[in-house]
Amino acid sequence: MGNQAISAIQWLALLLLLVVLAACSEQSSDTEVTDTMVEVIENVEEDPEIDAALLARQPTTNHWLNDQPIGTGLGPVTVENLASGTSNPEQWLHYGGDYRNFRHSPITELNPDSIGELQIAWLFPTGTDGQFAMSPIVYDGIMYVTTSYNHLMALNAETGEMYWRYDHPQPEDLRVCCGPANRGAAIHGDQIIMSTLDAHLLSFDRFTGELLWDLEIQEHADGFSATAAPLIVKNMVIIGTAGGEYGIRGHFDAYDLNTRERVWRVYTVPAAGEPGVETWSGDSWKTGGAPTWSVGAYDAATNTVMWTTGNPAPDWNGDSRLGDNLYSDSVLAVDADTGEYKWHFQFTPHDVWDYDGNTTIFQVDINFEGRERQALVQANRNGYFYILDRVTGEFLSATPYVEQLNWSTMDENGRPVVNPEAVPSSAADFRVCPGILGGMNGSWAGAINPDLGLAFIPTVENCMTMRKGISVFVKGQTYMGGSPMDSDAAKGEDYGHLSAIDINTGEVKWRYMDNSPLKAGVVSTAGGVVISGSPSGKIFGLNAETGEELWTFNAGGGIRSQPVVYQVNGDTYLAIGAGDNSRTSAVPSGGQLMVFKLKDGQF
Amino acid sequence: MKLFSRSMLFVISTSLLFACSDGGESGGSAEPSRVQAFMADPAAVERGEALFIGTCAGYCHTLTRTDTDALFLFDCQWKHGGKDEEIFNTVTVGIPNTRMVGFGANFPEGEDDLWKIIAYLKTNQEPCA
Repeated sequence: MGNQAISAIQWLALLLLLVVLAACSEQSSDTEVTDTMVEVIENVEEDPEIDAALLARQPTTNHWLNDQPIGTGLGPVTVENLASGTSNPEQWLHYGGDYRNFRHSPITELNPDSIGELQIAWLFPTGTDGQFAMSPIVYDGIMYVTTSYNHLMALNAETGEMYWRYDHPQPEDLRVCCGPANRGAAIHGDQIIMSTLDAHLLSFDRFTGELLWDLEIQEHADGFSATAAPLIVKNMVIIGTAGGEYGIRGHFDAYDLNTRERVWRVYTVPAAGEPGVETWSGDSWKTGGAPTWSVGAYDAATNTVMWTTGNPAPDWNGDSRLGDNLYSDSVLAVDADTGEYKWHFQFTPHDVWDYDGNTTIFQVDINFEGRERQALVQANRNGYFYILDRVTGEFLSATPYVEQLNWSTMDENGRPVVNPEAVPSSAADFRVCPGILGGMNGSWAGAINPDLGLAFIPTVENCMTMRKGISVFVKGQTYMGGSPMDSDAAKGEDYGHLSAIDINTGEVKWRYMDNSPLKAGVVSTAGGVVISGSPSGKIFGLNAETGEELWTFNAGGGIRSQPVVYQVNGDTYLAIGAGDNSRTSAVPSGGQLMVFKLKDGQF
Repeated sequence: MKLFSRSMLFVISTSLLFACSDGGESGGSAEPSRVQAFMADPAAVERGEALFIGTCAGYCHTLTRTDTDALFLFDCQWKHGGKDEEIFNTVTVGIPNTRMVGFGANFPEGEDDLWKIIAYLKTNQEPCA
């Protein structure tokens, strides 16, 4: 008995030792795989007696670096490169293609006659689910792609070979209202910059993937997250945050890319004593929302950064925040160097429908009612296509671009005249159009063909009832004041369209109809095609002038990304992300980057 | 609307049950628990519903089954405990390392508001297996 007891204690001690050793051998998140580790794994695989728990302790890494020469020898990305936008067809340097956000390429080879010859060139899996919403960056023969949950990869733009990869370790308590999206990286000098779901801004060496710096925009646990592609202006990176559903006080920031110091911060809700605070009753400005979760625009001619803002908080109950709630659901224009206020225009004063104003803003030079205007146009989530003067912020026109709009009419100054029936109540007995997703939504980006004077707007038609409730503010907790209730989608009656809108008048020229609400971005070519996708997994190419369907491809998974076109060695490529978890489909989710090439006889 | 109709039916049936029984969660006590008392009071359930709609639903605990990281609270599957006191504690303290931050004592009408939310949830539970 005594010997047996000692033996049991010994076994127990040995087990304890193994547990302690196991705990000590946990690999840190940036550990690289070494030869020794690989040997251990191989031995494990050869020995069937090894506990499965040991297999579970295989060394892992979240960061794969590159030590080989890559690229074609182009130098660092300069201010001039960035200003040139898409004029060089081998580059796609901004989320919006250029500072105007046109997402329009000068490539003529991709046109109504050739689009049918697109063939798969290469594929790349992301290993992630959730929205695959990015717009790739292409420079120097390298494509930089972000995925949901902030994975970032550098790929050979011609072959798909992976050069380096970084998977951002996320805290478990992310404050993300609406999915783990990331919409793309930015490039400047030899840096690749990505915002993160935990509200950080990261910079990487574009050749090696080495993490150069990591700065916290805000404490994520207070309700902040960042999903947008940053905007590079001069030597600054400009970024906003999400958090309108968490009662944050919104802002957008400029950081110096060399010193990493914050150059300016523009709050989108004025504080006590500041102009505009009178549009918030009581202390409601402190939790006013107005997030800045999409990318803005930069006008070099006037040195102006324009940025859009989202809903006031709480979303569906405005009783605690009486007033117009400036600058929620607005576009704010500020001096690029100082952040000083220039002008604003508010699309939806005292919003109680979650009509974030964060959809793409396009800088266009137009002829409006016989006069040349430097304009800013936007298909707002509230269902109106706005034309503003971008130098002064003057309202020029607002025209419904959705088929169903009943929450308001519009007065001559651009102020909505609200339909009282559409205001959320405890009864929730009115079907509000558009629903909470719009219209268009800042989660995806439209495009403009300047030669045709058309904006291409992927649109949701999904009306819904909305119910007002009682809201309770707790820092870091959601603060919504109500909820969407019955929707057309729940009845299978939602649908979508890609609409071509005359940027001079706001008139709809044609619509391409789809059974599903469209939630992907668009790319336009000088050859006269527009390409986008559907949640059903259909990639489609249209004649930009007529909307005629020219080409489709079944990607298998829903499309939520922002496609781009580019050239390498004279060949033309289309890159588009697929594989979104649509939440209504039985199709397995999982991101897949798909790159097509115009047929050249070498497949 | 569907939930509301169901809740009204449940309130009526629950009231009838209470008239004939000593209540369930009160552990055999002759007095109904606070939640049971609120379940029998349509105004209390209505306030609980308004609080739930305005504070918990929206983009988190949806009213119908949706693929989100927030649990569906009408299916009898209580990951963090389904007794009234356990739910009360979960909402008050929160779940560590998640975005479910505790509400503490921040409800406008104090503890009663949270008991009314629980009464609303219990009133609208799907039939439990």
